[in-house]
Amino acid sequence: MSTMRETRLANEAADFVALVEAESGAPLAACLQCAKCTAGCPVSARADIKPHVLVRLVQMGQRDEVLSSRMIWECTSCQTCTTRCPQKVDIAALTDALRRLSRAAGKVVGGTTVPTFNDIFLRTIRRLGRMYEMGLMTSFKLRTGNLMADVDKFPMMLAKRKLALLPPHVRGAAERKRLFERARRASERAEALAKAGGEKK
Amino acid sequence: MSYVFYPGCSLEGTARDFGQSTMAVAKALGLELPELPDWTCCGSTAAHQTDPLLALALPAKNLAAAGGKTVAVCCAACYSRLKTANHEISASPDVRRRVAEVTGIDYDGRTPVLHLLEILAKDIGLAKIAAHVTRPLKGLRVVSYYGCLLSRPPEITNFDNAENPMLMDNVMKAAGAEAIDWPHKTECCGASYSITDVSIVLALTREILSMARAAGADCIVTACPLCQINLDMRQKDVAKKFGEEYNLPVFYFTQLLGLALGLEPASLGLRSLVVDPMPLLAAKDF
Repeated sequence: MSTMRETRLANEAADFVALVEAESGAPLAACLQCAKCTAGCPVSARADIKPHVLVRLVQMGQRDEVLSSRMIWECTSCQTCTTRCPQKVDIAALTDALRRLSRAAGKVVGGTTVPTFNDIFLRTIRRLGRMYEMGLMTSFKLRTGNLMADVDKFPMMLAKRKLALLPPHVRGAAERKRLFERARRASERAEALAKAGGEKK
Repeated sequence: MSYVFYPGCSLEGTARDFGQSTMAVAKALGLELPELPDWTCCGSTAAHQTDPLLALALPAKNLAAAGGKTVAVCCAACYSRLKTANHEISASPDVRRRVAEVTGIDYDGRTPVLHLLEILAKDIGLAKIAAHVTRPLKGLRVVSYYGCLLSRPPEITNFDNAENPMLMDNVMKAAGAEAIDWPHKTECCGASYSITDVSIVLALTREILSMARAAGADCIVTACPLCQINLDMRQKDVAKKFGEEYNLPVFYFTQLLGLALGLEPASLGLRSLVVDPMPLLAAKDF
């Protein structure tokens, strides 16, 4: 019984490693655990899982632990880890892949507002073609309930002409909508394929 | 060389002064920067964290519209996304095909993309810039802050040395300023966590501000809208949280270069800066 369970767990772990490698393009097995990524990471001091440990946990197939980590939503995408890795493991791309998998698996850690921000950002550019900061901030405040954050900044930003009052107008709204729709469908297809590939192994 | 300008969203909003000073400097140097018609957002961090294909398709759509001209960019995030799209699309026929299926345009990934600093330092040339300087920024001690996405990763951006870039330092020297060497040129400011978790930005900007002061700088000069607003607007919050008052003006390089070229402060958007630069400029007699 226990052997069967171990085999199943080992298979699941291997599937997860294959899935993350396919999604990120990062050659995880190449990592030497030198921790140069962690040494240069601007948020490693506060991270629940430091970058080199994140790579190790993925290698070990610790799916739930990495997908529910706070670190993947605190990474600033500064690319220092990727730039300095002596083994060319693209850790920034790995983190992006883990963010997507975390959302798809419903494992996003509580308290982060990054996925909400990203959704509102993309919805805004899908609708308008360009960012509209006033609209983005209003939606973000309403969705996160943090209405008072930085309200003192608004009068100053308006006075200094740092905020456009009116939304941008860019031609091509219908084509833009189709582009976003085609991207969404293609991503869904790719995700299904990656999952199927992972299960076959 | 013939350019087409991709302003990016920030230059119409929080970094309007970057756009304004870019246009003023370009005019003074005889650099033509016609805007790419109907450009759309590059997708920024939100796209690459959410959907890798969309993150390539949005830049590709804009790059394909450039008609083979060199795309000139001011925002470091736009620059990074446009360069990344070029890198991935030109390296893989499969990626190229999948992006084309989304955009409806078969784009080859070969439209050249340059940051304004590259255009100034490499295409126009430092000697020509120096020749246009009428009010050299003599005695102004600046630290050049490049942030993350201009120089990283170097395989994609091919901007300058990834750990010790010099392009902005050299432009500042051509403008007559004293460009101070310092170790935080490419440290991260926390970027859009200014909205989603400001504690990250306060901790990181504090490090940068503190190092700028320790290096003896009168001001910080930046080349990215998010870097500028984080370092400038968050100084008050850093003071509140850590009890450290910096009061360091944070310019765009185009604003300081514009002053050196003899342009009026009003044409460079200096009033949009949060930390008032006027006392410093008056003290230095500019």
